[in-house]
Amino acid sequence: MPMRVIVVQFSGSTCDRDLVYAMKDVMGWEVDLIWYKNAQKHLESYDAIFLPGGFTYGDHLRAGIIAAYTPVMDKVKELAKEGFPVFGICNGFQILVESGLLPGALIGNDTLRFSCKWTNLRVETTRSAATNVAKKGDIWKVPIAHGEGRYFLDEKGLKELNENDQVVWRYVSDDGKITAKGNPNGSIESIAGICNLEGNVVGLMPHPERASESILSPWGSDHGKLYFQSLENYFRRG
Amino acid sequence: MAKFNAEVIIEGKKNARDPEGETIMRDLMIKHGYDMVSSVRSGKILKVTLEAKNEKEAEDICWNMVNELRIYNPVAHICTIKIVK
Amino acid sequence: MENYTSNHLKITLGEVKMTQETVVRDEINLTKEEKEVVYKTLNREPTIPEAAMLEVMNSEHCSYKSSRPVLPKLPTEGPRVICGPGEDAGVVDIGDGLALVFKLESHNHPSALDPFNGAATGIGGIIRDILCMGARPIGLLDSFRLGNLSDPHTKWLLKWVTKGVGDYGNCVGISNAGGDIEFDPSFQINCLINVGCFGVMRKDELALSRATTPGDKLILLGGSTGRDGIGGASFASKNITEDSESDRGAVQIGDPYMKKLIIEATLEAIKAGVVEGLKDLGAAGVTCSISETADAGGTGTEIQLEKIRIREDDMEHWEILVSESQERMFFVVKPDNVKKISKIFDKYELPYEILGEVTDTGKCVVKYRDQTIVDLPAHLLTKPPAANRKATYPKYLNKLNQKWLPKEPKENELDDICRKIMASDNMISREWVYRQYDTEVGLHSVVKSGQADAGVFRLSEFGTKKGIAVTFDGNSNQCYLDPYNGGAGIMMEACSNVAAVGAEPIAMTDCLNFGNPEHPQVFWTFEKVVEGLADAAKALGVPCVGGNVSFYNHDEVRDVAVKPSPVIFVAGLLDDVEKAVNNSFKSPEEFIILIGDTNTEIGGSEYTKVIHSSDDGQVPKVDFANAKNVLKKVVKAVREGLVTASHDISKGGLFVALTEMSMAGNLGFKVGLKRIPADTQRSDIKLFSETHGRFLMTAKKEDMDKLIAIFAEDEIPASYIGIVTQEKKLIIDNDENETIIDLPLDEIKQVWETRMVEEMEGKS
Repeated sequence: MPMRVIVVQFSGSTCDRDLVYAMKDVMGWEVDLIWYKNAQKHLESYDAIFLPGGFTYGDHLRAGIIAAYTPVMDKVKELAKEGFPVFGICNGFQILVESGLLPGALIGNDTLRFSCKWTNLRVETTRSAATNVAKKGDIWKVPIAHGEGRYFLDEKGLKELNENDQVVWRYVSDDGKITAKGNPNGSIESIAGICNLEGNVVGLMPHPERASESILSPWGSDHGKLYFQSLENYFRRG
Repeated sequence: MAKFNAEVIIEGKKNARDPEGETIMRDLMIKHGYDMVSSVRSGKILKVTLEAKNEKEAEDICWNMVNELRIYNPVAHICTIKIVK
Repeated sequence: MENYTSNHLKITLGEVKMTQETVVRDEINLTKEEKEVVYKTLNREPTIPEAAMLEVMNSEHCSYKSSRPVLPKLPTEGPRVICGPGEDAGVVDIGDGLALVFKLESHNHPSALDPFNGAATGIGGIIRDILCMGARPIGLLDSFRLGNLSDPHTKWLLKWVTKGVGDYGNCVGISNAGGDIEFDPSFQINCLINVGCFGVMRKDELALSRATTPGDKLILLGGSTGRDGIGGASFASKNITEDSESDRGAVQIGDPYMKKLIIEATLEAIKAGVVEGLKDLGAAGVTCSISETADAGGTGTEIQLEKIRIREDDMEHWEILVSESQERMFFVVKPDNVKKISKIFDKYELPYEILGEVTDTGKCVVKYRDQTIVDLPAHLLTKPPAANRKATYPKYLNKLNQKWLPKEPKENELDDICRKIMASDNMISREWVYRQYDTEVGLHSVVKSGQADAGVFRLSEFGTKKGIAVTFDGNSNQCYLDPYNGGAGIMMEACSNVAAVGAEPIAMTDCLNFGNPEHPQVFWTFEKVVEGLADAAKALGVPCVGGNVSFYNHDEVRDVAVKPSPVIFVAGLLDDVEKAVNNSFKSPEEFIILIGDTNTEIGGSEYTKVIHSSDDGQVPKVDFANAKNVLKKVVKAVREGLVTASHDISKGGLFVALTEMSMAGNLGFKVGLKRIPADTQRSDIKLFSETHGRFLMTAKKEDMDKLIAIFAEDEIPASYIGIVTQEKKLIIDNDENETIIDLPLDEIKQVWETRMVEEMEGKS
């Protein structure tokens, strides 16, 4: 049976249809795109919840903050705490962080500019719902496109994050090492994506839906598929 | 010479639309019970510390600076400068 | 806007009666001829709001009065053309029941004063033009013409126009597909900011901006109406001086978040079948929508002004009517569908009001609380008289010597010449700019900025293997030195860009940016450029499906007009998007083939400008007889999979094209000038001439015969000139097989990649 997932469409989401396409047409899943005002009551009936990328509410005040206060997020928070798989991509990650479902903050890129480029993501842990079919140390080619993608967390929080194996991906250079050059936005410890303690809530700034078909990648790669395949695997394993 | 703290506030002109202020008010404040709010204007604040002979000179320096370096664009913004304690 | 002298005391809102508030003939800002038409038609004096509407619609920006007599030279018909000039955007049939909708526009004057908002609202405007045809916009392009890069003012402009384009495009979630930037001192004060947009839709869902049925309701959706852009249309037709900065309130502020919601609401309404007509509010705001929809539909419109949501309490009637506040769309809706469409607008929490309805009177009527304040025949607003501009041969052209050639450089000077050219303003990488644009959103982009001559978008979401290639092109320097050949050259160049990736050029739209049309020498160049464009378009079989003209790009204080700057947007069609080829060298030992003959045509070339600082020399001419066929063969070669990389030769000539392929693929080349068919023995000419219709292609050994045969069939020169090398060196041998150029790829690439970054990030 194919996965049945819901993509919540907020006011100002722009990558929702792309995400639907990647999951429907590439992965063969059943995907419903539901307007945030109508999504609340349906969430539970799906296998997983996706919060897509975009500029919800114009990114006004702070990216993701206004969407985090929508009623549907109250329900998402409730379900996430019960172990429901919740995936946030780019603005979706920002919404998860502003909702308190993931620690830290996503602030303006240190370059002070919006940046769209392909990055190298190194898989740091395979226990998350988004990386369990990969191997630790694998490098995925995935593009970013954001102005407020710099991950920030205080020392204490970082220590916990690392000790609890919650860092899922880091930006690295072509040779797999953490360097300033390989870090597109100044994220602390080159963190590109994290998960919660349980591993069911995963957020990352890069866009796996843009990296799931070789024709879209300058390298002919499709590592984005591994992200979705991991969810399938996670779900099947229960 | 003494040290002065100036607040340089840059805002959109009054008759220019401010989508940021409008969205914050409409979608965040009013929707969450703060419907007594009737206007929100967004802007940028630069807190500048500088040395000058006196308050007036400090203010003058700041004005020269914001005009010469186009720290605000007079076509789209207004600028207010306050020397604060 | 000027103050009006009225016959009576100034009337405030709420007391308007037709007979009281009129404008004395002398005060209305129209030409003698325009006034005659107005007074003859109306047989009375216009009211203040009518006068304002007439002024705005008669302005250059709205009426195209100077260009209308010239534009018909452009070919506009073809088997694929669904909508040509006159609609909000051009529409062409691309098969499989699909249509491509595209357009390009200028936003020059606003951007010169407030580059961020000017560029952003330029993007906002062009998106609306595509949307109002019923298509979801999927790609954007941008074109900047600025002064010298090292100038602080240029850097300021570039920084903010990039941010303006980026912030707006990224927020609405439309991918940037490409663009071009040209640096030249003539754009120092009057920068040129042109933006383009395209979308693909099902042919049968095309929406037109017509109000055809009396009784249909007129609905205004979106942002409130303020004083943005008041006088924007006639303001755009004024020249910029340093005093223009005090034209406060003239620049519009965009709201891409609201635009995104408008896009979704509009497309949903179209899919629901509740939209009869659709128009975006751009230049001349409400005035334009109520008049153009009526005129196009052969009907009339009547609206209640008090229904319009205004942002400032003290706005006068005329201000409301000509305001250019952003993010507003105009809908024509059957009365039975009003409820349905309201539900859609409510879903997105978008404000809207029903302004009035379509009538059968042929007139545009505006009432304020039941008092009629405007009652004009629609055609009076939409079809103002054309201006008859004088054209005089520009004196500066007499000073140019087309036969001039520079003294041939010594062979040991060539390395440095190459270095200098690769590091010059118009050659360096523009990555600093396009990295700030989201090029991936939408999952369409398969060939991206920096990878080839044209951006390529797949259309899999529409269920087809086809692809669209898009490119912007301009060359103001060549148009200045030889308007006719320059104009023709740009058309050829743009079509060559799309052919290089394997796409058949199918249509073009243009933006013609010029100085003051009332200057006869400027108008002469305008006519010549359009003639050149037209002749090339005819020769290539590529129709013009729309365009935009921006005049008055002239700095009165310094008396500097911009160089004639046509910018062309060409769209191409690929049968199978997977066959698209980019321009990077792929493997060592692959053969490099040069298509075409090289002529001594260095007029306006990068070589002549950068190295010799000269305006002399022959500007490249298009070979009208063979142009179409050459492109056809290039497309065929790519489609048959015989080519591993493909690049058209343009600015900088052969050397630059080779180096670009080299840098993209991180591989070197070894090329022999001996093998280059040319009308000269001179190495510098062979290296840097900018003759049109030439391409570089790489191929595997086993494909060479087939590849050459494609061109040989029609006697098009296809010459093996060298090979791709593993060694990262750029090596060129002269006719005697002696190496005359030997440059390290990494060094050239380093400078080329970083110069703009250093200039813009202040490290220089």
